[in-house]
Amino acid sequence: MASRRLVVGSLSVVVFLALWQIVGSTNLIRSDLISYPSEVVATMAKMASTGELGSNAWVSLNEFFVGFVPAVIFGIVAGIALALVRRLRLLLDPLLIAIYQAPIIAFIPILVVWFGVGTTSKIVMVFISAFFPVMINTMTGVAQVAEPWTRAVRSFGANTLQVVSKAILPGSLPAIMAGMRLGVGRAVVVLIAGEMYVSVMGIGRLVQVYSSAARASEIVVLVVVISTFGFACVSFLRWLENRIGPWRQELEQ
Amino acid sequence: MRLPEPLLLGITGLVLFVLLWQVAADHGLLNPTILASPSLIASAFVTQWSSGQLPADLKVSLTEYALGFGLSVVVGIAVGIAMGLNRTIEYSLDPFMWFLYSAPLIAIYPLIVVWMGFGFATVVTVAFLLTVVSITVNTVAGVQSVDPVLIRVVRAFGGTTRDVILKVVLPASTPLILAGLRIGLGRALIGVVLGEMFGANAGLGFRMTVYAAHLRTADVFVPLVVFIVIGVASTQLVGLIERHFQAWKA
Repeated sequence: MASRRLVVGSLSVVVFLALWQIVGSTNLIRSDLISYPSEVVATMAKMASTGELGSNAWVSLNEFFVGFVPAVIFGIVAGIALALVRRLRLLLDPLLIAIYQAPIIAFIPILVVWFGVGTTSKIVMVFISAFFPVMINTMTGVAQVAEPWTRAVRSFGANTLQVVSKAILPGSLPAIMAGMRLGVGRAVVVLIAGEMYVSVMGIGRLVQVYSSAARASEIVVLVVVISTFGFACVSFLRWLENRIGPWRQELEQ
Repeated sequence: MRLPEPLLLGITGLVLFVLLWQVAADHGLLNPTILASPSLIASAFVTQWSSGQLPADLKVSLTEYALGFGLSVVVGIAVGIAMGLNRTIEYSLDPFMWFLYSAPLIAIYPLIVVWMGFGFATVVTVAFLLTVVSITVNTVAGVQSVDPVLIRVVRAFGGTTRDVILKVVLPASTPLILAGLRIGLGRALIGVVLGEMFGANAGLGFRMTVYAAHLRTADVFVPLVVFIVIGVASTQLVGLIERHFQAWKA
């Protein structure tokens, strides 16, 4: 069955690309509005060879990781703390839920006012976008394992540090990873939107530049680059999850 | 009557947060150009509301939100049922669903503006594209979770495809479809904000960028708070409906 999925799936992608190529290259639909695959490939090669793609991608990558890594670390710590200290969680709950369920995109203008047009505001955007999903998921995950696991480990004489490292962290790993995957998706969108809103350099800035020039093929190239990055991050996290906790695989089936 | 502890602490937290913010602002710890105090934001809210600006923007944003979400629900559930019942349709649409779900749709907004025109239609399209996949994917999962025996029973008694869908598939997949709707509501709101910030000249998202460009921070916070309220309220509402159906199912 899996092979039929693959065959039908690839076939439909090939048909789509072929139609796009024909419609675009013969100008059936104005090719400056939709471009076509061979032009996109040529444009990508050109943008890569001039270094335009590389230098802007480097800026965006930096912003992403400088914001994302602390967001994960602080998110996990805050999530565990809130899950274990019930009163604190109840006190902050409405505020956290409000920020978690709010469209983070709407914070972009105010963050630019606070942190400027450069990379700092983008790093903060990435941080906020990733911090809350990681924290909320960690909190939920820890709350689910905390009771039975903690008691089991405690009854063997473990101290608080051991309880956290031996029971709580491994037990809530799947939830934490799910939070990180969610965080990657949100952070990428907000980062690109933030760069498009105002920035000096970055992939989102390129999108804005080419969009004002209505250059479809460059925009498609950038969309492909951004999607590939998001896909690579999520795949890496899945790989990492299986490396750290291979026992989970059977559970997921 | 005593309030339950979670509610009591939650309200205390919110009040404390606003109070601390206000006190800090009153003592000159916050630069009002950078971070306006709650009282300044409240008075900005009143001014914007009575001038008619806020209601007008709110109406635009809510209409776009409702339309973008409504279209996604209709298309998402229809396509989801088709994909859930027919393997060939599922396999051939799968790669595109995947792409639409993971692609940064924000980056193609310039193309959408060219196709749909600046403003209302573009915002609705962005909201639709962001939302439709999560509803479709959840509907597919819901349809495929339906016990095939039930479908065969309806068929054996001479039920048409229409009967199968209306009497078995839709009711049985309601919980998963509702979960998709809840995710979709959040994404539709993001779509509205994105669309308005970049491709419109009306609505709360557009107004926010105007205020920000003039460094009117108290004014920026008003649409921001309204967006937060809409986001929380709509998610909670679907959450309530979801719990109702879970209770009914159990």
